[in-house]
Amino acid sequence: MLRVENLTKKFKDSVAVDNISFDVIRGRIFGLLGPNGAGKTTTIRTILNILKPTSGTITFDGKLISNEIFNIIGYLPEERGLYKKSKALDVITYFARLKNLSKVKAEDESKFWMEKLEIKNLANKRLEELSKGNQQKIQFICAVVHNPEILILDEPFSGFDPINQETIKDILLSFTNAGKIIILCTHQMETAEKLCSDIFLIDKGKEVCSGSLVEVKKSFGGNLVKVEFSGDGSFLSSLPEVININSYNNYAEIELREDVKPYEFLRLLVTKIIVTHFSIVEPTLNKIFIDAIKNRHQSKTINTAK
Amino acid sequence: MKKAFLVGKWEYLEKVKTKTFLISLILTPIIIILFSIAPTLLSKQIENSTKPIGVIDSSGLYFNYLRQLVDRFRLANGQPNYILINLTDNSQKLFQTQSNAEEYVLSGKIDAFLVIKNGGTNSIKAEIKSNNTLEPDDILRLKYAVEMAKNNFILSKEGISASIRNSISEGIDFKVIKINDGKRGNSQDFSMLFLSTFVYILLLTMMILTSGGMLIRSLVEEKSNRLIEILISSCTPDELLTGKIIGLSSLGLTQVIIWTLIAISIAILGYIPLQVFNNLIPVFIYFILGFIFYTAIFVGIGSIVSSEQEAQQITSYLSFVLILPIVLTVPALENPNSMFVHILSVIPFTIPSIMILRFNIGNVPPLEVIASSIIMLISIYTVVGMSSKIFHIGILSYGKRPSLKEIIEWIK
Repeated sequence: MLRVENLTKKFKDSVAVDNISFDVIRGRIFGLLGPNGAGKTTTIRTILNILKPTSGTITFDGKLISNEIFNIIGYLPEERGLYKKSKALDVITYFARLKNLSKVKAEDESKFWMEKLEIKNLANKRLEELSKGNQQKIQFICAVVHNPEILILDEPFSGFDPINQETIKDILLSFTNAGKIIILCTHQMETAEKLCSDIFLIDKGKEVCSGSLVEVKKSFGGNLVKVEFSGDGSFLSSLPEVININSYNNYAEIELREDVKPYEFLRLLVTKIIVTHFSIVEPTLNKIFIDAIKNRHQSKTINTAK
Repeated sequence: MKKAFLVGKWEYLEKVKTKTFLISLILTPIIIILFSIAPTLLSKQIENSTKPIGVIDSSGLYFNYLRQLVDRFRLANGQPNYILINLTDNSQKLFQTQSNAEEYVLSGKIDAFLVIKNGGTNSIKAEIKSNNTLEPDDILRLKYAVEMAKNNFILSKEGISASIRNSISEGIDFKVIKINDGKRGNSQDFSMLFLSTFVYILLLTMMILTSGGMLIRSLVEEKSNRLIEILISSCTPDELLTGKIIGLSSLGLTQVIIWTLIAISIAILGYIPLQVFNNLIPVFIYFILGFIFYTAIFVGIGSIVSSEQEAQQITSYLSFVLILPIVLTVPALENPNSMFVHILSVIPFTIPSIMILRFNIGNVPPLEVIASSIIMLISIYTVVGMSSKIFHIGILSYGKRPSLKEIIEWIK
């Protein structure tokens, strides 16, 4: 487990990260989300041990992180680009060697990954000759070639076509099965929603909300239901349980009063109309992200959902 | 340290393969050879023609003797260097004769003319009027000839025999001999001395500038695509910095070795004298010290800039400091014991070039060798320390270039 406790990082005249804490559990993808300039990069850099925290601790399996972390951590930065003039296989092998792999092992692993991502034929090409997608693949390999226990990926999917996104996603899921610690930074909320088990939303250095995806959604979900029915639904809008309604012929989106349990509301409905479909609408992560950040910016109050 | 060597090896192998390196490896010696040999070749070319020189000697006492004297100056092809033409016309006024002679110079019939006044007395006066083809050497020779002619006239008046007079006028075989550590001296041409010194310093400068430029470019690239973050999440910034210095110094060493081989093979072919390499070991040592010193500075600079343009701007400032010893080569060679040479011998920026220069001129007191080496080593240590501090912070800051005040804060 990677534990970040009361992490604060101050620069000369600004506080980049302000007293945040979270745990990243093995085998679960952890989404570190937030708008630009929220403090994600600073957080990542302190975990990478590139920056020393002003206060707070970061421990890995109970031990404070130190330079020993170098060989077990893999990092994919958001900005891409490698040594343009160098050959693909050479670059991968170099980074593998820097992660303390032996020469033979580094070459074997590099070849293994190039084969896995179907770019084995490009091994002796200069990077500048490769397509953007293939350069991305090589950069991804550089982050994972040494089989790291901790993997930090900043926007790993950007620049990939849907097929390659799928490939990368499969690899990430296979890593979770292997019990790796994975931190995913992304703006693509849909991806985060599909992949992350836990999320941490940060804005202006402070925690906005955090927890498992299910918890967060629950805490942000308004009491919203979707009903499809046949029969006369005109009575719906006059029900005391209903705050707001969007109704069509055989379909309605209904916002219920907070104390109303959706299943009790369903029970009420079936006595009056034929319900063909009933579902509780969960907010998307995208909506949570936008709402939470907007709320914070408007009210300046911290909306902690924990 | 293992990782530092890995970085060093990578930097070396990736740069040694680049076109920039190959070009500087081959082009630098070519440019230097062209620049240093071409002017000598050109000036030799002009010397291939005989110079017609007029003489106005109203006393008529000196012309024949002068003609006899200048006849010993010969061009490389055996032709006489000067032809003396008697322009004396006692039927005219002197100023008239002179203005005619001036006409001849302007129309290019003669290159110069010599006027001898007060002929026959012990205090003759001479003037030489010329166009711009007359070189300092020519003037020295003509002056010598006039002096000899005057002496000859006085001596003959005193009844000294012609054979004695001739032996007085005979030139002396004057050799310039340099003394080295009590060893038997070698005669050495001043121009060769100048040339070899100049070439050494120029090579050092070019080497520092090309490899320094390469270093900055690669750092800027690594910073802009965040490769640096992958690197320092794999090894410490110090290991990275050491690795880069190791890689680049090996690159410099490769260059020096190849250049030395080129130079020695040219020497063996006989184009330059082997004694140019007398001081190869001290030159080599100061070369390496200077190179590491400047490389360390370039690392510091490379880590604070974030674009190629900025890098070039700062590099050009540094080039001024580097070029300075080249500008000073001539005065320092003429005056190797002057105060300013001693001062430059203790300033780390100029120590390498100045010491190379001094070793070439002659003896350098051991005390100064030790002192300058110690200064160099301490400076390298300090600069590496400072650069490393700048590097630690600089590589992670993007965008605006830090102010000098901020940088000083980082160093503290």
